[in-house]
Amino acid sequence: MDPVDQSRLRRLQLVGVASGFTAGAWLGAAEAPTKMVTLGIPPVVISLAMVLGVFLARWSLPALLRGSAAIGADVRQAPHLVVWAVLAGCLWAVANTLTIFAIRDIGLSIAFPLWNSNSLLGIVWGFVFFNELRQAGWARWAGVLGGAVLMFGGAMLLAVASSGTPGTSGHAARGVAAALAAGVLWGTMYIPYRKAYLTGMNPLSFITFFTIGELVMMTALAVSDRGGVAALMAELSRARDVLFWLLCGGFVWVVGDLFQQYAAKYVGISRGIPLSNTNQLWGLAWGILVFGELKGAAGASYAQVIGGSLLMAAGAAAIALATARPEEHLRWQEAAGREGARYGVDPAYVRSGLAGEGTTVRTRTWLDWGIVIAATAVFVGFGLVARVPELAVGGGAMVALVVASLGLLGGTGWLLWRTTGFN
Amino acid sequence: MNRLSALLRDLQFWVPVAVLVGGLLVLRWIR
Repeated sequence: MDPVDQSRLRRLQLVGVASGFTAGAWLGAAEAPTKMVTLGIPPVVISLAMVLGVFLARWSLPALLRGSAAIGADVRQAPHLVVWAVLAGCLWAVANTLTIFAIRDIGLSIAFPLWNSNSLLGIVWGFVFFNELRQAGWARWAGVLGGAVLMFGGAMLLAVASSGTPGTSGHAARGVAAALAAGVLWGTMYIPYRKAYLTGMNPLSFITFFTIGELVMMTALAVSDRGGVAALMAELSRARDVLFWLLCGGFVWVVGDLFQQYAAKYVGISRGIPLSNTNQLWGLAWGILVFGELKGAAGASYAQVIGGSLLMAAGAAAIALATARPEEHLRWQEAAGREGARYGVDPAYVRSGLAGEGTTVRTRTWLDWGIVIAATAVFVGFGLVARVPELAVGGGAMVALVVASLGLLGGTGWLLWRTTGFN
Repeated sequence: MNRLSALLRDLQFWVPVAVLVGGLLVLRWIR
């Protein structure tokens, strides 16, 4: 397989780093709707409602951006990846449900850093299975590993700072177990991600099948938890006036996850996951500035928050600067070649995918527009019966965070389109 | 069939499968 041109490689790395940071902003914002747990809605109902929003977004966004014909062409090239995508979706659904229980038992501020330990696991899987950080040199190793450790340390500091926040239920051990298990599930979920992108699959195709796994698994978990379909439907019906916000949470999560997929594709999971784990900073900003967490806390708590945030930011910066050298990228290509040979995928398809080049023509059909219109109609329908939850929120801070998130979406989306055409 | 056979012989496939089973067990415990 021919090596990717150096200047092209630099542009792809920039796209991957920007995608990682943008993923952080949107994944952090998506946690806000889970605050509704405190309003008495069962955790699995919240999780299922978010997954319904996720499902709608994962079908409508790819249809809008790329078209279902291109997705079909991807599947014909590497049909085995459908199994990987469904498996990853199942992992996501179980992890997401665990996080809801973790938030209920130990609070968002403690649960967040615990499940974000997935980045350390991602580095292990990236190195062991996909040749990431091979021939990277000590400086890159120090940047990635040191950055991840710094981020983990910062996360711990943030957890200590906010350990007195309300929302804990007296089941700390169960909450910690749930958060750590979610971290392991999410850290391992990146194996299918990397597998797909080394083989050349487009992220927009991967998530279309990923969501089948998450919806089926989440529905099974919810039915089992509630004791039957009728009981689940009754819960959903009772929660119908807040379902819109949970659907929105799922939609926002997908936007973040999509950028995380591009980060995993272009800078690998060892760098992409820690970068997108800056979502803790965004989650904390939402928690403190919008939902009033830490209100009345001692000055020391604020010092810990500032110190922890600076540590996380420094760690993320170290990782962002430790992009892959051409020698390391060649090792990625070796891993990609191995995947292609194992599953009989066309080498030209694998190479063009790695280089961020498309092999198919984009066309939108009536099916694509139908999917987009149907998804929009569901959101509008639930929006019409929605009420604003009775939560005290900081309006000015919320507007500032929304504007910042939209700015990142626009800037990185433009860069991604210009460099790869969303490939 | 060749791809299915390659999938089942791929060690990387069984790692997420094992983690998924473990996650379901934790979920059953905490509920």
